[in-house]
This record gives sequence, structure tokens and C-alpha cells, in this order.
Amino acid sequence: IVSSYSFVFQVIFEHEGVFIHPSSDDDGIDPDLLISGSLRLVDKDSSSVVEWAHSPGERVLETQHSYETEWDMINAVSFRKRPCSNGHERSRWAFSFSLRELRSVTVKQEGWSFLIFKLKDSSSCLPALHFHQGGSTEFLDAVRRYALLSESVDDASCLVVSTPNRALSQSFENLLDDNNYSLVNKLKKDPYVTTLGGFSKVTNYLFDALRGTEEHTQRPPEEMADLLGEVIPGLDINQQEEPGFEVITRIDLGPRPAVSRREPVSVEEWTKHQDPEGRVQRVPQLKEAIFKGGLCHAVRKEAWKFLLGYFPWNSTVEERKALQRSKTDEYFRMKLQWKSVSEEQERRNSRLRDYRSLIEKDVNRTDRTNRFYEGIDNPGLVLLNDILMTYCMYDFDLGYVQGMSDLLSPILYVMENEVDAFWCFAFYMDQMHQNFEEQMQGMKTQLVQLGSLLRLLDLAFWNYLESQDSGFLYFCFRWLLIRFKRELSFQDVLRLWEVMWTELPCENFHLLVCCAILDSEKQKIMEENYGFNEILKHINELSMKLDIEEILHKAEGICLQIKSCKDLPRSVSSILGFTSDPRDPRDPRDPHRASQRADTCSNGHGHLTEAPALVS
Amino acid sequence: SLLNVMTSKTSLLKVILLGDGGVGKSSIMNRYVTNKFDAHLFHTIGVEFLNKDLEVDGHQVTLQIWDTAGQERFRSLRTPFYRGSDCCLLTFSVDDNQSFLNLGNWKKEFIYYADVKEPEKFPFVVLGNKVDVTERQVSTEEAQQWCQENGDYPYYETSAKDATNVAVAFEEAVRRVLAMDERTDHLIPTDTVKLHRKPRSAATCCS
Repeated sequence: IVSSYSFVFQVIFEHEGVFIHPSSDDDGIDPDLLISGSLRLVDKDSSSVVEWAHSPGERVLETQHSYETEWDMINAVSFRKRPCSNGHERSRWAFSFSLRELRSVTVKQEGWSFLIFKLKDSSSCLPALHFHQGGSTEFLDAVRRYALLSESVDDASCLVVSTPNRALSQSFENLLDDNNYSLVNKLKKDPYVTTLGGFSKVTNYLFDALRGTEEHTQRPPEEMADLLGEVIPGLDINQQEEPGFEVITRIDLGPRPAVSRREPVSVEEWTKHQDPEGRVQRVPQLKEAIFKGGLCHAVRKEAWKFLLGYFPWNSTVEERKALQRSKTDEYFRMKLQWKSVSEEQERRNSRLRDYRSLIEKDVNRTDRTNRFYEGIDNPGLVLLNDILMTYCMYDFDLGYVQGMSDLLSPILYVMENEVDAFWCFAFYMDQMHQNFEEQMQGMKTQLVQLGSLLRLLDLAFWNYLESQDSGFLYFCFRWLLIRFKRELSFQDVLRLWEVMWTELPCENFHLLVCCAILDSEKQKIMEENYGFNEILKHINELSMKLDIEEILHKAEGICLQIKSCKDLPRSVSSILGFTSDPRDPRDPRDPHRASQRADTCSNGHGHLTEAPALVS
Repeated sequence: SLLNVMTSKTSLLKVILLGDGGVGKSSIMNRYVTNKFDAHLFHTIGVEFLNKDLEVDGHQVTLQIWDTAGQERFRSLRTPFYRGSDCCLLTFSVDDNQSFLNLGNWKKEFIYYADVKEPEKFPFVVLGNKVDVTERQVSTEEAQQWCQENGDYPYYETSAKDATNVAVAFEEAVRRVLAMDERTDHLIPTDTVKLHRKPRSAATCCS
């Protein structure tokens, strides 16, 4: 079909497996009937047309292992194969419309995404399109190339469509093109952030005007043209003025998709994923389920061992028993090492002495209100102490660093077993090791990466932080060092950690968790005009007031929002581990983008540089 | 009148607590500001601060008390917060000799990173905490001797647990800071602005 149309049609976007649910639109039809089809956005005679047509002989979802089939059970929706697909059936449901006729698109979530189209001519009604096999974000991105989609004032899920005339929109496209756009964004950065702050208002204004994705309403095309004429000459002058520029890219991210979460994985569901020998099956789906809802407490003791890498997913029960036996021997061998150090020896071993002394102090002040650790001589305290001491023998170079008891405490609480807790902790420490090293390189890297993400998400907020000398994000130190352990209730820490251990939906998801929390606080911080100290105090005082589900919703939404952005700086895609899109003609490896990467490392004020050791 | 100006203005004084991990820095701060004590309070990760208003010798003062993580590893995190400090409370625990031996290192670290212009004149106050504990490792005499030899610093034996000497120590810190200012004032007697510490914006301390 595509090839026969290729002379008159340019296919901009095509996606199979987009369903309509006729029963919701028509009476007297099998309520379970779902019709699969393909959705296209085609360019035809300078007009952009959306077409949907039923795909004959389309396989249905029953046989597929996409995670939507997992959702299937939860949402009690059954996908049924529709065996007959004659011409009549095809043409009966097919529809198409021009983007110019479109008034709005409403984006809904029901475990999958579906879109409801409203045309300007309200007499015609279109069936909703259900993206059971993904693709809604990509479709909307394609539409955005031809129309401006702006969130409706009273319903954020409703995107109001406006189509500027083609010539003008083309000129915007050029302006927003990477190379040209970099001219717009050469901003003088340091040391006077006032310039930058003021200037960013211009770029924000410009962007909002052009793309209309933020809360501003759409400007008429004439106004936009004037705006461009006013702003660009000024930018050219600015660009040549002084050395020390930084390329700051204000990238339009589009709307933040709503996401759904689910109930925790139950014992029954967990068991279903094991074969008779105990190997875990369909691991990606299982991880997706854990990411979306976490684990029931009863599953944690077993599941965490897999999530942390102590148990291989494909191991059998027998293999795991053997593994535990050898790991038990190894643990007690190391434990004996410090247990058998005499007082005489310890007197000559200042590092061991220091570790022992600090561990003893910190164990006495770790989660002492938790019943597992409360009271004097609680056996939980002895276990915490012994595991941390043994970890010093396991990794003597690192030894004990404050914060490690916070990481161990929830693991021991879940494992209720010294050996298993030690090994799970050791695997967790593999992830967190850099945070605790002498130079704290992990912390520095994460703070810089977080800065890059914040700048992408909200340049105005980022500029505000910099103007308050807070661009180094000190106030996030505790969050990152011990993965929000002190910010959330104990039970919420368990939930957050197991979600993060799935390594979904992107790399460094914990940085998006930071972004999600800050997204909820930025308005207050800026409105109250908080300075350096007040920001620190405000963030410190959020501890125990945060709602984990709200944060996870938002963080995943931010992930999807960033992922769907086509002009993502290379630095950001590499932080989140998004591979470059091969369809994108703009090579992400080009030198211009490489320079953006370099600049992301230059933020902050170098506070966390090497401090000479004065305390021995 | 001069007296009016002196009593109506509130000075913001930044005080920083330094010392080894576990000597009781956070407990001293919490005892002073909230008058509470929790033996099982979490050890500090990162930096925190609390404000406390008080009046010393007719001066209205807001004390901004900064509390830091004591482990050596966190040096690069805490040192940026030293700048702009008006007073440093060097803290050890009387039941931990090592924490006493480290006082000199803490002093050095503070002077280096706080960028103190005249270290010999900077107001340090030394606190020997946990005097409620029976097994002492550091005697009062030893501690007093160290203070005398290192710059004649005031020394207080405190207990955050039973509130011994905590408020007294902070008030002494304030007096030392105000005395420093008075001395500077006498050098420029015509400049009335310099007679008093100007209320400072909280944001300036770490720039």
C-alpha cells in the first residue's frame, strides 16, 4: 500500500498494532471486539493527513509477550482474534482526516495509551485509537512536526492543535534546528548569573511562543514573526561579545505523559514466573511488573536476592542452595578475620580501630525507632555491626564510611539472615561504591549529571539555582549518597529501592527521582525567593514528608517525556542510557553535540574539588 | 540614640560545630535549639543548620548553627560551608581520646577552608561533650591545657544528654564574636555603621 502511494504520499509516520474498540463507539457490537490496524501520518499535497485502516490478517496480542499482555490480566481486558477481515470490514472502520481539521487530541492511559481525536467540525466523531503495542508518543512527536500541540488550560491531557501556515512553520523549524538554534543559545554564563537569568527569560519566551507547549496560550503567527525579528539580532550581538560562552540548549520536551502504576507483585505472581526447577522465567516482564508496582513484602526476601545480583535469574533452586553454602563459608571466613584480631594487634592497626569505633557509634544510631533495631541489646544491632565489620574485611580499602549502615539496615530487615544480608549488601555496594570512595567521584559525577537533567527540564529553575549559588546541588547530597534512605519512611525506602533495582525504565533513574521531587518544590523555592541556605533547609526538611507513589509517577513521566524528545543533547541521552535513534538524520556524534557534552561538566563552582587532607 | 540602635538590630551569627564523628555535634545543636535529646538520633549525612534567637548582654542575636558530617571522608562536602563563620565550636567527646587528639586537625582544617584572615584572633570555643559518661578518657586538666596552649580558648565540659553547660557555651561563643567586633569598632570610632554587626543576608555565607 505504501509503495503504490509513494508518488503522492510521503509517509511521515507509520505504526502497526493501533487498535480501535468499536463497542465503545457503537451499540450492538461485540463488546470485546478490538480491531487492529495501522496508523499513518502522511504528507499529501502540502497537507498532513492522519489515516487509520484495519490491517488484514493482523496477529492479535494473545500470542505476543509484550508487557501489555501482563497488563491484560490486571485490567481484565481480553484481546480476541478477529478471524475475518474482508474488504467491507476494512473500509467500514477506516478513517482519515487532515491535521487542519483537528481541534484537539486527548491522551489517556489505561495501562496502555489511547488517543481521542476531536475535529473542528463537531458533527463527525472518530473512534479512539488504542496503542496496545506502543507508539503513541512517537505518533504525537510526528504530529508535532506539522502542528503545535499545547496543553489545554483546564485539562492537561487534552492537547489543543493549531497549524500555522506552512512557510512560517518551516522558518521556525530552521530556527530550532540544532545548528541554527545554537546561535540563539550562546549565552554568557559565568560569573554573573543575572545576565543569564534575564536572558533565559527571552529564550523561554521565544520557545513558548514558538511551540506553545508550556502554560502560555498560542500566539498568532504574525506575532511570532515579529517576535523573531526583535529577538534574533540581539542574540547575534550577544554571541560575539565576550569569551566564556556556554551553549545552553533550551529544548522543547513536549507534554509529560501520564503514567499508570499497579499493585505490588504478589507471591502468586512471583511463583508463576518460576519453572519447576526454580529458574525465573520472562524476567523482563517480571522486572517491568516490579518497576510498576514493587513487591509484596512476603516476596522481598527472595526477590531482592535476584534484583541485587546475588542469585542469577536462570539458576535452579539446587544451584542456589549450593551458592548459598559456598557464600556462607566465605562470609564466616571473613568474619573470623576481624573476630580473631587481638587487642594487641588492633592497637597497631589504626584503620581497623577507626572503622570499629565508627561502626559501633553509627550502629547505635541507625533506624533505632524501627522495631527490628529498637531497644538496648537488640540482636539486630549485633548483626548490623558484624556485617559492617565483615564488609571492612571484604573491602578493606573502602572500609566503613558513614551512610553504609543506612544502606545495610533495610536489607538486613528484609533478609532476616546475616549471610544473605551481607551478600545482598555487598552487591548493592557494588552499585554505590563510588559514592563512598576517597574522592567521592560517584557523588561528583551524579551531581553534575543531575545538573544536566535539571537544566534540560527547566532552564529557568536551573538558572535560579545558579543565581543562588546552588548550582552544585549540595542540597541533594544526602538523597544521592544513600538513595533517599533518610527522606522516606522505612517502608517507602523498600519500595523505592526495589523499583530502582529493576534498572527500568532507563539508566540512572534515581536522578529522575531527584528531578521529580525538585519539580514539586521548584515553584515554592522560586516564589519564596529562597537563597542558598533556605534551599538547603527546605530540602533537608522534606525528609519524611514525601509521597513515594507520587514521586515514582512523576519520575517515570519525566523519563518518557525526555525519551520522546528528538533533539536530546547527547550528554542527556548518555546519562539515561538512551541509544541514539538511527532514523534521526542529525548525527548525535557530530562535533557540535560533542561540545554540549563538554559543557555539562562545567557547571557548579568547583566546590567539591579535591580538598587537601588536613585531618589525618 | 546609640543604645536604641544596639538593641533594635538583630545580628546574624554563623557558628559551626566541628569534631570527629559521634562526639555529639548534632545532639548539642538539638539540645540547644529544641531542648531535646535523643540518644538514637541518626548520624548526620551532609550538612544541616538550625537557627536560634537569643539575647546576650543586651544584643539581639540570631545564631545560625551549622552541623556537619564528622567523618574525614566527607571533607570536600563540609569545607565549603566554613566560609563566613563567625565562630567555630571545636568538639570532642571526653570518653574518646582520639577525638580529643584530633582537635588540632579540626582547627587546621577550619582555618584553611574558612579563609580566616587572622587565625590567632579567631574565636574558637572548645567543647568536651558527654561528661555524663562515667568512663572518661580525657581529663579536664588535659583539655584545659590544650586550650591554653592553642590560643587561650574557652573550654566547656558539656552534656547534651542532661543539658549541662550547652546554653552557656553558645552564649560564650556569642560574647566572643561580639567582643571581636567591639575591638574592630574601636579602631574606627567615627564610623557608626561599623559599631554594630549589620544584619546579613543569609545567602552571603557561602558565596
